[in-house]
Amino acid sequence: MPEWYGPYGGAYVPETLVPALRELEVAWRSSRRDRAFRSELERLSHDWGGRPTPLYFAENLTREVGGAEIYLKREDLLHGGAHKFNNALGQGLLAKRLGKARLIAETGAGQHGVATAMVGAKLALPTEVYMGAVDMGRQRANVQRMRLLGAQVRSVEHGARTLKEAINEAFRDWITNVQTTYYLLGSAVGPHPFPSMVCDFQSVIGREILRQSRARWGAPPDLALACVGGGSNAIGTFHPLLRTSTKLLGVEAGGSGGPTAVGSASLTRGRPGVLQGMRTYLLQDAEGQVLETDSISAGLDYAGVGPEHAFLKDSGRVEYTAATDTEALSAFHALARTEGILPALEPCHAIAEAIRRAREMPKDARIVVTLSGRGDKDLEVVGAHAAPR
Amino acid sequence: MQHLGEVLARRKAAGEASLLVYAMAGSVPEERFLSVVDALSEAGVTGVEIGFPFSDPMAEGPVIQRAASEALRGGYHWADLQRLLRACAERLPCAVMTYLNPIVQRGEARAVEEIAAAGGSALILPDLPVEALRPFREARRVHRVDTVLLASPATQEDRLATLVRKSEGFLYLVSRFGTTGLGGGDTPSTRGREGDLAPLLQRAHAIRPKLPVLVGFGVRTEDDVLRHRRAGADGVIVGSAVQALLSDGRPVAEVVERVRPLVEALHAPLLPA
Ligand SMILES: Cc1ncc(COP(=O)(O)O)c(C=O)c1O
Repeated sequence: MPEWYGPYGGAYVPETLVPALRELEVAWRSSRRDRAFRSELERLSHDWGGRPTPLYFAENLTREVGGAEIYLKREDLLHGGAHKFNNALGQGLLAKRLGKARLIAETGAGQHGVATAMVGAKLALPTEVYMGAVDMGRQRANVQRMRLLGAQVRSVEHGARTLKEAINEAFRDWITNVQTTYYLLGSAVGPHPFPSMVCDFQSVIGREILRQSRARWGAPPDLALACVGGGSNAIGTFHPLLRTSTKLLGVEAGGSGGPTAVGSASLTRGRPGVLQGMRTYLLQDAEGQVLETDSISAGLDYAGVGPEHAFLKDSGRVEYTAATDTEALSAFHALARTEGILPALEPCHAIAEAIRRAREMPKDARIVVTLSGRGDKDLEVVGAHAAPR
Repeated sequence: MQHLGEVLARRKAAGEASLLVYAMAGSVPEERFLSVVDALSEAGVTGVEIGFPFSDPMAEGPVIQRAASEALRGGYHWADLQRLLRACAERLPCAVMTYLNPIVQRGEARAVEEIAAAGGSALILPDLPVEALRPFREARRVHRVDTVLLASPATQEDRLATLVRKSEGFLYLVSRFGTTGLGGGDTPSTRGREGDLAPLLQRAHAIRPKLPVLVGFGVRTEDDVLRHRRAGADGVIVGSAVQALLSDGRPVAEVVERVRPLVEALHAPLLPA
């Protein structure tokens, strides 16, 4: 498991966490080789989670766009309604193995919080989820789901009161309770071994895409896209495709597009720095203070990004771009109208870009977009904006 | 201008315990900050750790978090720190404590050079792992700014040995599982539990007898000072207890009243607990 992706990654953490991160790495190394662990993960992913998820040909959308064929990797159909399940289940089983008595997590959109709450209930581990107060307001349905699943939701009231602050607070809890508590980090971010471990658990997405596209048309896709917040659904999509000829494209949140707004596009608009245990691209000012971000989607509203994406950007293997709030919203309506699917706002950023690219590609080209989650959580936010004509 | 590491080493050699006070730059007006430093110097405090605010202070409890965001809201900059440091270093030996990113963005070598030019003699970065010390090593050789490492009750034996060998100036021993602050909080992230420090202190002294080891996080009473001294600490660091008074706008005299008994506890004879 790599700790470094070129100059990115590492484990820049207070000394109190060093032994816990070591312990975690050792446990993960032995678990991933352990047949019993893997078959338990597979069994629960299948029976409880609903894997494998379909690779769905969005025929109507394709026709409307009039370009390359657009396929959706349906992580929205996974139990809990998002790809976050893959990682939460894997790490939950690891926490159990380590004999930890309590789970903590951060959440932005609430999907990772919901997935952790589900896993906590299933594995009988008391669960507390840190969530920014702003996110609790805009993702109310998920707050309720977490509570009904038995988790405690702790409101984080400082800073911008979104995902970054929730991660800070979860780390502070972990520093304080590290002997009893497992920190179930929800994206491919943070100190080693989290980014590579989360990538491992999410790579099931890309492996299935590869298998399904080969079964369907005998080759990998020409283009694969995913939205990038912390980057877990994207790295899970990309990683197994890195050695194929598939062009890979990560889509960040461009935000409101206003003159002073930076959005949440750390790769496209940021520069390298150190935050929350990792060296990676950050949205920051000249003196290294991390900026407040903005995005219509709580799950992408984050100033950093997983270190492997930073490396893949520099190496040129993956292209990164951004889609604005408005573009994401019209993708939402396009998918609802043409395919009868209500997507989460996060993957709408990738869908918006997929539509743009499909127009420029030949009709026999094939595009796969990871539809990382379903839109039930976003009904209020979408409702507050007028549907485009 | 006195060098913090040298002063601490001298005091240790003479059998005297030390006390450092931490305060966040920019959390109060500069004039007030300096009058507090003056008063602390008079009260017998050994040195000052000046906090430079960072937007995401992962290891801090509520008091220092709030002080940092106030300073940033007030538009506090690196140039302001250099000015403050210059004035403080005339009064007491000074360290700068912040997080890695502001230093990385400045450039490690340049940041250290500027700290040295302003009279600072140590740099403390709670998120700098010993593995990433290299860029600071060279800067230290040239500018004599120590990079102080932190150890914690969670630190295992082999790792402690590495930290003790590589830390410069002194070793900062975190007293407990938890963030900075007064402890006894009612949320899971503030309810820190103190570690058993005596074995760690013994081991550190055995490995490098001349290196001062100072205990910090949650130190606020004479009892705390005496307990840590009894466990083998060469001194203590008081942060949130003082910062809380500064942030609340309490008069300088009250800050001194708070610190004076702690200074006295440095000199009190140690009776068995
Ligand atoms: C549906 C959905 N997609 C994407 C994300 C972004 O996370 P990541 O970039 O780690 O996949 C989230 C995060 O909350 C989400 O809920």
